[in-house]
Amino acid sequence: MHRPRYRTLMIMALTAAAIAPCAYAQAPDPGKLVTAAFDYWRGTASISTVKMTVHRPDWERSMTLKAWTRGEKESIFFIIEPAKDQGNGTLLKDGQMWTFNPKVNQVIKLPPSMMSQEWMGSDYSNNDLAKSDTLLIDYTHEVTGTETDAGKKVYLVKSTPKPRAPVIWGMQKLKIREDYVILREEFYDEDMNLVKAMDASDIRPVDGKPFPMVWIMRKADKENEYTRLDYRDLKFLATLPDRLFTLSNLRNPER
Amino acid sequence: MSMDYRMAWRNIWRNPRRSILTICAIVFACALLVFMLSMQFGSYYSMIDFSVRIHTGYMQVQAKGYQKEHNIYQVVPQPERVARILSSNPEVRAFTYRANAFSLVSSRQRTYGALVIGIEPDRETQVSTLKSLVRKGEYLAPGDGTRALVGDLLARNLKVDVGDELVVLGQGRDGSVAATVLTVKGIFSSGQEDFDRSTVNIPLDTFQQVYSMDDAVHEVVVMGRNLRDMAGLKREIAASVEQLPDGRSLVVLDWMELMPGLIQGIKIDMMSGVIFYLFLVVVVAFSILNTFVMAILERTREFGVMMALGTSPGRLIRVLLMESMTMTAIGILCGIGAGVVVTWYFQIHGIALSGADDILKQFGIPDRIYPRLSVWSIAIGPAAVFIITFFTALFPALRVRRLRPIAALGHV
Repeated sequence: MHRPRYRTLMIMALTAAAIAPCAYAQAPDPGKLVTAAFDYWRGTASISTVKMTVHRPDWERSMTLKAWTRGEKESIFFIIEPAKDQGNGTLLKDGQMWTFNPKVNQVIKLPPSMMSQEWMGSDYSNNDLAKSDTLLIDYTHEVTGTETDAGKKVYLVKSTPKPRAPVIWGMQKLKIREDYVILREEFYDEDMNLVKAMDASDIRPVDGKPFPMVWIMRKADKENEYTRLDYRDLKFLATLPDRLFTLSNLRNPER
Repeated sequence: MSMDYRMAWRNIWRNPRRSILTICAIVFACALLVFMLSMQFGSYYSMIDFSVRIHTGYMQVQAKGYQKEHNIYQVVPQPERVARILSSNPEVRAFTYRANAFSLVSSRQRTYGALVIGIEPDRETQVSTLKSLVRKGEYLAPGDGTRALVGDLLARNLKVDVGDELVVLGQGRDGSVAATVLTVKGIFSSGQEDFDRSTVNIPLDTFQQVYSMDDAVHEVVVMGRNLRDMAGLKREIAASVEQLPDGRSLVVLDWMELMPGLIQGIKIDMMSGVIFYLFLVVVVAFSILNTFVMAILERTREFGVMMALGTSPGRLIRVLLMESMTMTAIGILCGIGAGVVVTWYFQIHGIALSGADDILKQFGIPDRIYPRLSVWSIAIGPAAVFIITFFTALFPALRVRRLRPIAALGHV
């Protein structure tokens, strides 16, 4: 079983960031390139509204989330649509995950055994959301080639786990544009088979920096099964107050 | 009766003690094999019977793909249409609906992932042993609302007891958040660890409401009258289900498909059984070989005389094989007879498993093992004995060809 334990792009997306110094690299050091790309997303804080669509061959469902993120380790989001689920919230802090349901009026902390489960029936696992950047800590990176996308240079990066690092993905592949926008992330198992991949598209300027507004996570062997994130609203901030990322705010959100 | 056969028959009874001993070895081997195989089949039968009664039933009607993926939206819609098919089949003893959802189950202190199962309290008792497994508190009754039966290991993990509250948080059929508060009404223990550690049973109507199921279910669990007739019943039900308007999206799965682990376990056990039987047959073969070889060595002079009179070695071999095969045949028939009689006795009266009664009874396992005679359990062992004695007899018989009449005549 794969317990995805990687820096997730969803969080990165949610955690979108203030701008990293735009030192457009010439021949980039792969480690620095990946770190810079992650910093580009991570930044300090953001507020966003995201529509998440889970698509299955015979089934589709959408919901809208409102999310606050700060740094890479803190985020909180609430379902605002559909009305039936309104008020359900999730708090992520230091790799841990709590969820609140207004109907039973209780906060539940997810046990570690549940972290590999899919989140809300999507193609993202709880770990995808909660685990911080093991890609930066537990992997070594190399640039394997370059492409061109819309007149910009794109680096192909292959990331392999460091010896004895506690990871599950046997390999990850990234496509990082020279302005640090991540275009694609691929997740491989220990046999180097592609498990799932996330593609970014619809890159638009947000607060002055280009940001992909659509993310699609797709299982490798299932063309017709994916989870799509559409950013409806995205704002980058210098910081957000501590009290946002607390259990009491999860329970009684200030909205 | 041909001349050769008459000679063979007389040869057998020329030394009755030796022949009877040989026959006895074969009788014993055959009877033992019949009994052991019947025992083995019998214990598999009760194992399967016990397992299907805990949860799976003989077979289930599900949505295609549900068994593998267990997605909550893979449902049997309008299950009463399946129910109508089942009610009209006299071979169906009972059936019930179930719905399952993997959810977070949380007590005040702990949270675990568990399978929440919606059951029909009334009909469930006809299908599974769940009711008798309740150790503490009470079994569910219709209209019990949000009361729940919890596996004892899960209850221990969650640190809850009868009367305590549980919060359940999962995903409904329509993808919405499913959440409710349950009260523990009873705690059950089946002895099957994963079942006791990870299941919560609630009334089906509550389940359908919490998980936005409408009137759909995930499984229609079927109990037949007899495990042995299952294949036919499965075909009948599958044929009728396919006639339904959306029948192609449903499948009928039997317990072998529902519990592949069980059938694998049986296969592995069967292999170790086969190895034991091979040893048994080989030991018998050696004892038979011994008597055959002795018989032929003792009779070297006799063979010499016959060959001097013009009997061809081929004819001698034929006579010898007739002798041994006649003895084998007598032995096998008596062995099957004895084996069947002994097995039959125990099939009726059972063999008590001493010492373990209480533990077994607690989990609804019968405290007696009943061997089961079947064509297979009767035929396999004796067939193996027959084949192996044939080859054992062949070996010494072929030695006759090496005899030289003059030398043989001088043999004492």
